Amino acid sequence: MARTSTPWQRTLALAAAAVAAACSSSGSTTTPPPSGDYSIAIFNGDNQTAGVGTTLTTPLTVTVTDGNGAPVPGVTVSWAIVNGGGSIAPVSATTDSAGHASAIFTLGTVAGLQSVTAMVSSNIVTFAATATSTVPVTSPQLVATWPVPTGATYDHDAFVRDGLAFVCDWNEGVLILDVGNGVRGGSPSNPVLVSQLITANNGVSSAAVHNAWWFHNPVTGENRYLFIGQEGPGIVGSASSGDIHIVDVSDLSHPVEVGFIHVPGAGTHNFWMDESNQVLYAAYYNAGVIKVDVSGTLSGDMSSRIVAQVKPGGAGNTYVWGVMLANGTLYATDMVSGFWALDPATLAVRGGGNNVPERYGSDQWVYGQYAYSGTWGNRLARGNAVKVWSLDAGGEPELADSIIIPNISTVSDVAVTADGRMLVLTAEGGSGNGLYVYSRSNPQHPTQVGFYSVPVGLHTGEVATISGRTYVFAARDPGQQELDIFDITGLVP
Amino acid sequence: MNRSAGMLAALGMMLGGGAVALPAQSAWGITPMARAIGTVDHSDPVPGGGSLTEARVVEPVLMVMGHGPGGVFRFNATLDLEGLTIPGGELTPGDWGEGFVDRRHPHTYVHELLVGLVDPLGRHDGRGRLGIVLGKGFVPFGTDDPMSRPFLRFPVNHHLSQIPERAVGIVQYQLGVVTVEGSLFDGDEPTGPSDWPLIRTDTHGWRFGDSRALRITVSPRSGLEVQGSLAHIHSPESRAGAAPDAEKQSASIRWEQGTGSTDRYALIEWARTSEAQGYFVFHTFLGEGMLRGRRWSVAYRFESTERPEELRLVDLFRTQRPSPDNSILGITRWSLHTVHVALTFAASRRRLSIEPFVEGTLGTVAKVGGGIFDPELLYGTDQVRALDVGVELDWAAQRQRMGRYGVLQAMPAMSGMRM
Repeated sequence: MARTSTPWQRTLALAAAAVAAACSSSGSTTTPPPSGDYSIAIFNGDNQTAGVGTTLTTPLTVTVTDGNGAPVPGVTVSWAIVNGGGSIAPVSATTDSAGHASAIFTLGTVAGLQSVTAMVSSNIVTFAATATSTVPVTSPQLVATWPVPTGATYDHDAFVRDGLAFVCDWNEGVLILDVGNGVRGGSPSNPVLVSQLITANNGVSSAAVHNAWWFHNPVTGENRYLFIGQEGPGIVGSASSGDIHIVDVSDLSHPVEVGFIHVPGAGTHNFWMDESNQVLYAAYYNAGVIKVDVSGTLSGDMSSRIVAQVKPGGAGNTYVWGVMLANGTLYATDMVSGFWALDPATLAVRGGGNNVPERYGSDQWVYGQYAYSGTWGNRLARGNAVKVWSLDAGGEPELADSIIIPNISTVSDVAVTADGRMLVLTAEGGSGNGLYVYSRSNPQHPTQVGFYSVPVGLHTGEVATISGRTYVFAARDPGQQELDIFDITGLVP
Repeated sequence: MNRSAGMLAALGMMLGGGAVALPAQSAWGITPMARAIGTVDHSDPVPGGGSLTEARVVEPVLMVMGHGPGGVFRFNATLDLEGLTIPGGELTPGDWGEGFVDRRHPHTYVHELLVGLVDPLGRHDGRGRLGIVLGKGFVPFGTDDPMSRPFLRFPVNHHLSQIPERAVGIVQYQLGVVTVEGSLFDGDEPTGPSDWPLIRTDTHGWRFGDSRALRITVSPRSGLEVQGSLAHIHSPESRAGAAPDAEKQSASIRWEQGTGSTDRYALIEWARTSEAQGYFVFHTFLGEGMLRGRRWSVAYRFESTERPEELRLVDLFRTQRPSPDNSILGITRWSLHTVHVALTFAASRRRLSIEPFVEGTLGTVAKVGGGIFDPELLYGTDQVRALDVGVELDWAAQRQRMGRYGVLQAMPAMSGMRM
């Protein structure tokens, strides 16, 4: 029954206050009212466009009014950068006789939307600016496509290793493609099918093959097992379904399902492995993160191999999208509760969490001392941001910047190339859908260098290096479902 | 004739002594009809918060009904131009389907195109009457299309209670007060006004026939009707045909009575849809009634309907079709009270009716169960208000109950344009 205020409503209220101020008689005010009565509204300078790193030509100006809508002089307005980097000067300014205060905004080095807030007492307005890239944005080369099998709902994800692509095609299972391995003479520009396996439904409405990981066991020297994630139906934030399926791929031409891992009341999403320790980490949505001992022979119900589990945000505040092990820390992105750092041995929380309250989380990647996490859907703000995290010596993340991508509502996949030069994103939900490539020459402030428009959207993008070239294996969204293979070599010299 | 009066007249023609009785028809007959509604819609809230007011022309339709000599051969055609007048949909709080949300999607240009045979065997099949219908239109499931009912705004339950715009083959048999209908159709929903039902795809084979429905209608006395129906729909939200299936059930009681000076109408319906092998279940209960005098009418509707909350796009009135995942953000229940008041003026020798109206809706939206969807986060409130002011124009519109064909459909033989 209660009415709450959304950002749109607050903006409208501020605009209304500005109109009221403009329409009211300007009675002289000798005593400023209590600070809590001040209103602030944008007067000039919103929505400018300029090149990255340049100073906006029009200063950002606000109007401060009292409870009667009259301009108030002598009030201190605080300015702050929200995202995109850059600088604002001064960081505090005093209103003049017309109630105006201004600041100069120099854009950061990240192309896209950047924003600055002006605050008086507890009232805030946000200025937006668009930074255009001075680096030529080129289009990655689409070198091949692979259609989904007859009857497949989606092409959802791919895992690429040793020149083999394990393509996850939902109800039609997993396809093994030779894209440079040599077993069938395939290449990235000429994939050749090796085999296909549809895993068991396990009580879910379809095989729902979502993701995969081909386990190279350095202890045994075997490359025997393929782990497959099944994404059954779910309710985001509270419920999910689907098991981890274990497939024996000793004979790539005849893969055989040999076991599974089941967590009651929950379903799996993305994996990561600590192969040297024979450990599988799996995001399990409302069940959090699980750690599984995958040493030795795997067969049948392997649920007893779960050795640790954590719900980093606690019950009701956990819905984990993905995990990644890097620098001795296990990182987890939670759709609800943000970006977490966990102890890989115990899964105990080391740091982070509840740090992206305005957006839902999506995928992540960690490289060196920086991590990147995507955002999803619509919360207080759209999922059009990639959060850039600086990692301290203990692995704890601190927000360093945000990349804002116009005209999308979900950053659905995040990856960094093996050489660390490029950050690769896939995007959905608007007219800006497609494949984005950024240079990591400054890893805290990546700069866009490539874009390939896919109007229907790209759901995932797996980065792989094959024969010295860098490719993205991307899943095109339903409606045009197919695997797209892009060559992004050389986008960053 | 306006929608409510036409509906009553048609029913009065159709139902007699508990069974449908068609007048003798010795010649070809064609009845053209047309209608359009100009309206100003105000909805509060809309996604993102606040309110929105829009002026639109909705339901601009041209209809033709016809029959051959003796009334055995029948045909129906409805051209709907909403793809031109409301390509972005009509503001309708709570409505959803076909990639639209909080807006009613425009219908396809060819809304109905059906041919049929009624009682082709005469007395050779006993005392009953056989009906065969084939074409594009409503599947024999659930209740009448909201377009042929007394309100402007579609109820939230449209996609739970009707299955429109499919390639459908129907076999009916009517014996006394009981009519049984079985049908095969294509499961795929349209995704735009120009879409045609998919009969067969290169990658997924036959879509026509991949879904089925059964409806039993009992009319124990004049004006009273009870129906129960079941449907299995294969992959309604993915035209390619590999998304989860839906199982649907519907039951309703409908009553209509015309006394000459006053007409009365009432409908109570319940429906249920489960998807993904029962993982998601949505219910609806709806009750509505209308009272009509010579020139005025007043109608009231209450519904309590659950709907899925799906991932929205940059345009908050849209969702992705097909969805790339099997997840939803939650379920909401919309409890809405709607009142519709209208006056009717006849012109052009009663072939044109002009019906100004006012329609208001009040209600609430509530979260049902878990999930991240929070109505107050999206809308800024859980209170729903909507107001429409408009004029409905009908030309020669002897309105039929959309979604009832063959032996269940009355033909306007006496008022049609004779050939």
